[in-house]
Amino acid sequence: MQAKRSMFYLRTVFASLMRRRSRLLVALLSITIGATILSGLVTIFYDIPRQMGQEFRSYGANMVLLPKGESGTISPEQLEAVRAILPTDDVIGVAPYRYDTIAINDLPFIIAGTDFAGAQAASPFWGITGEWPSGRNQALIGREIANTFRLEPGESVVVSGTNSEGEPFEKTFSVAGIVQTGGQEETFVFISIDDYGAVVGGEVAFDIVEMSVTSSGAGLEELVTAIGQETEGVTAQLVRRVTQSEDTVLSKLQSLVYLVTIVVLMLTMICVATTMMAVVAERRREIGLRKALGATNGSVVLNFLGECLAMGFVGGALGSLLGFGLAQLVSLQVFNRTIDFPLAIVPLTIFSSLVITTLACLLPVRNATKIDPAIVLKGE
Amino acid sequence: MPQMLLELKEITKSYGALDALKDVSFDVEQGEWLAIMGPSGSGKTTMMNIIGCMDKPSQGTVLLDGRDISQESARSLTTIRRDSIGLIFQQFHLINYLTAVENVMVAQYYHSLPDEAEALDALKRVGLEERARHLPNQLSGGEQQRVCIARALINRPQLILADEPTGNLDEANELKVLELLRELHQEGRTVIVVTHDPEVAQQARRTIVLEHGRVHEIRDNALAHQA
Amino acid sequence: MFIRMILGALFRQKGKMLMIALTVALGTSLASAMLNVMLDVGNKVNQELKTYGANINVLPQGALLLSDLYGVEQMPDSPDMYLSEEDMIKVKTIFWAHNIVDFTPHLDANATIDGGENTVKVTGTWFQKQLSLPTGEELETGIRQMRSWWAVTGEWLTDDDGGGALIGVAVAEQYGLAVGDEFTLDVQGSSRRFTVRGIVDAGDDEDAQIFIALATMQELTNKAGLISSFEVSALTTPDNDLARRATANPRSLSAREHETWYCTAYVSSICYQIDEVIPDGVAKAIRQVAESEGTILEKTQLLMLLITILSLLGAALGISNLISASVMDRSAEIGLLKALGAHDIPLSWLVLLEILLVGLVGGVVGYFAGLGFAQIIGQTVFGSSIAAAPMVIPLLSVLVMLVIIIGSFPSLRYLLSLRPAEVLHGR
Repeated sequence: MQAKRSMFYLRTVFASLMRRRSRLLVALLSITIGATILSGLVTIFYDIPRQMGQEFRSYGANMVLLPKGESGTISPEQLEAVRAILPTDDVIGVAPYRYDTIAINDLPFIIAGTDFAGAQAASPFWGITGEWPSGRNQALIGREIANTFRLEPGESVVVSGTNSEGEPFEKTFSVAGIVQTGGQEETFVFISIDDYGAVVGGEVAFDIVEMSVTSSGAGLEELVTAIGQETEGVTAQLVRRVTQSEDTVLSKLQSLVYLVTIVVLMLTMICVATTMMAVVAERRREIGLRKALGATNGSVVLNFLGECLAMGFVGGALGSLLGFGLAQLVSLQVFNRTIDFPLAIVPLTIFSSLVITTLACLLPVRNATKIDPAIVLKGE
Repeated sequence: MPQMLLELKEITKSYGALDALKDVSFDVEQGEWLAIMGPSGSGKTTMMNIIGCMDKPSQGTVLLDGRDISQESARSLTTIRRDSIGLIFQQFHLINYLTAVENVMVAQYYHSLPDEAEALDALKRVGLEERARHLPNQLSGGEQQRVCIARALINRPQLILADEPTGNLDEANELKVLELLRELHQEGRTVIVVTHDPEVAQQARRTIVLEHGRVHEIRDNALAHQA
Repeated sequence: MFIRMILGALFRQKGKMLMIALTVALGTSLASAMLNVMLDVGNKVNQELKTYGANINVLPQGALLLSDLYGVEQMPDSPDMYLSEEDMIKVKTIFWAHNIVDFTPHLDANATIDGGENTVKVTGTWFQKQLSLPTGEELETGIRQMRSWWAVTGEWLTDDDGGGALIGVAVAEQYGLAVGDEFTLDVQGSSRRFTVRGIVDAGDDEDAQIFIALATMQELTNKAGLISSFEVSALTTPDNDLARRATANPRSLSAREHETWYCTAYVSSICYQIDEVIPDGVAKAIRQVAESEGTILEKTQLLMLLITILSLLGAALGISNLISASVMDRSAEIGLLKALGAHDIPLSWLVLLEILLVGLVGGVVGYFAGLGFAQIIGQTVFGSSIAAAPMVIPLLSVLVMLVIIIGSFPSLRYLLSLRPAEVLHGR
């Protein structure tokens, strides 16, 4: 019995959806647009801290490791221990440095042994004329040094000094590139840590390690504490200039996108609601007729609700997929990275579009049901 | 004495200072065919709304099958309408996205149970079994009106109430519709037709002529029929 | 009669027209809010990025090689290792003077504390200096603005506090100094007692430094009116190809390119202009700040641009959608008018003009509502108002017109293709 009623109910809902195609399309289109914008913007909003956090790594290291205690240096083993603590995906670059003083043409400078791949990743703002060193006996020299001695990439530079045994050395490096930073690095000679060991000697150890980690605020503080507790002879320190400022700017950016999302969503949803209302309000006459045929207010509402829910569901489902596509597009355009599909966005989008379509259709339908069937029929 | 289906006693309906109906009283017998006639503005539509349980009189009582419906709530009026009255409209009022048979089934749906076979029977009855799967805009005016009639009689109402059923039809279709109404009457249904067309009113057994909201004349057509 | 028909439609179909106006208003307010925010977001974020501190460092030509070197003994004094304090003020006279947000001088020297052996770097600087510029402009600048990330325990120093000092946490730890303690500084032969006003946690080399007022430092080292460098925080435009070429070699540009470059606030052109007014100084871009600023700015602007396009698209579709629905709605009326002998073109004009009029009302309301939304965003996020860009108005008008016309076109065409009889018979 009930099944027969439900079947016919579904049949009329379906018929209305299929046979009023142009109207349906108008309503569905507007729901889909709304849902697309909703799911797209919310996805972008949730992805902003991660994506922007990556961009902020262009400011370079936000954490430095310093030796603690007697040794005065950080051994590669200690560095490994620290790396084990950090989530691998979050580490953008690790640049260990070992310093000594040397002379070029009797003028004093500083030589730094490092891992070039790590330095490049940790300090993306370094401006390099020429190439990053790729083999042995190649050096990256600061711009001040290059200017002083009129050195160009491809030429060679003779470095002299005293090694760890106290014996003088002299070594020729080919200049792979010239580094420009606007800071003290412009008076440094950078060589690979292997070359450093061969020339200056001593065991492999570092004076300081710069790290660029995609984490901010409390997360970063936790990592610092964890490193301090779990590794011996190493303390981690935040580069306040980078971390503080990043927190400030990032929180502004996030609240910007947040507000923009709210405004856009609010207006879009009202827009969807008005369109839905217009589409439903057109059918006042039909509501009158149904009432004249003996429909109770409840059953009229139920009929329209069925249609609206169906459209809300389809629109929401379509929109959540399209929205992800949009967010993906934006992410690719802006950040050059893909984003993961946040599954939670699908039920969220569908739920919101169901709520909005329901509200938008209940209002005019309720208004229409208040109308006397006689008056509706009399008109046209 | 034949049983009365509908008894109207001193019905007055006022819209503000204007009385659309004033002290109207008449009875309708079970199985009678009655026409309500009058020029526009005479209160025909108001009368139809009251009989059709779509409106309530300002004063007076309406007894439908012995039950006073003038004091009922809108909700129970809806129930009465759906159980006892079949409506036929001048503009047909079919739901344009439902097929002929589905339009008939809507009435079943609100009344009891949608039953497609029964709905098809009703359409066959009005000669439209071939067109059952067509949408209203694929049907001619006469066909649409016959769907409307099929819808009105599907729930076997005690009373069939038709508002200018032939108003939008050509002569051939008008005759078909009147023929259908006559058949219904002969089956023993009570039929009330509201019209301004004397030709249509002539078909009924009795004609009530309204003028300025009052019963101007009650005409018995039985003699004319016999003649 | 045409006008009467339009007016009739406008006033007698109030509900429907109100709906269209409302939708147009919503769409335009969205567009105007987003466009205004987008156009101003660059400036706003640029301001925010100033928390990263200076992006330009100005050094004396002679000292260039050595001033930044640490671990190397200070070279003997020579006059070309200093800049004059007076010259520094000239940065506010360059072409892009308006973009110079802050600047602060440094006078550095190595000193010993309480007669100890190790030297500590002491910097004389401005903390929060009130300046009256020759141009009549008032300016408050100093290291306090330029080190937003410093965490200071105790108090900040004031510029007229001759006996106070800010010390880095590393110094405080090494010498066991706390806020309120006194210590003696020996700088180049002269010595003076200072009180610790505050301890600075800077998270970098500055933790091992002492900061005192510039005037005191000049007195101590006997270098009245001299500074060893100064840093500048300037609002800049992200580098493009032209700027990169100019940075590599300013002479490689054609006269025209040079002018474009000079008149754009690239960090390189601002450096170039500082070099022009301070002949014995060299301005260097601090790449860590300058480069990264560009990246962040570009990304933010692009992000906002895309979000704006997205919402414009949404608004446009929303409006055109409703309009095509409402035009379709009038099939009976249009059929009737055609039956009465109206031709297609005037009929289209009738419908279009009606909707355009309604759209105009909605658009004007929406524009101002959008400005309001933009201000809410500006005030909440950046604490400052968003400038209303005049170009938004013509842009919006054209957009709204296009959207309305495009929105009504398909349904209008469909309606005109119908034969009047069909429409009137409700098919």
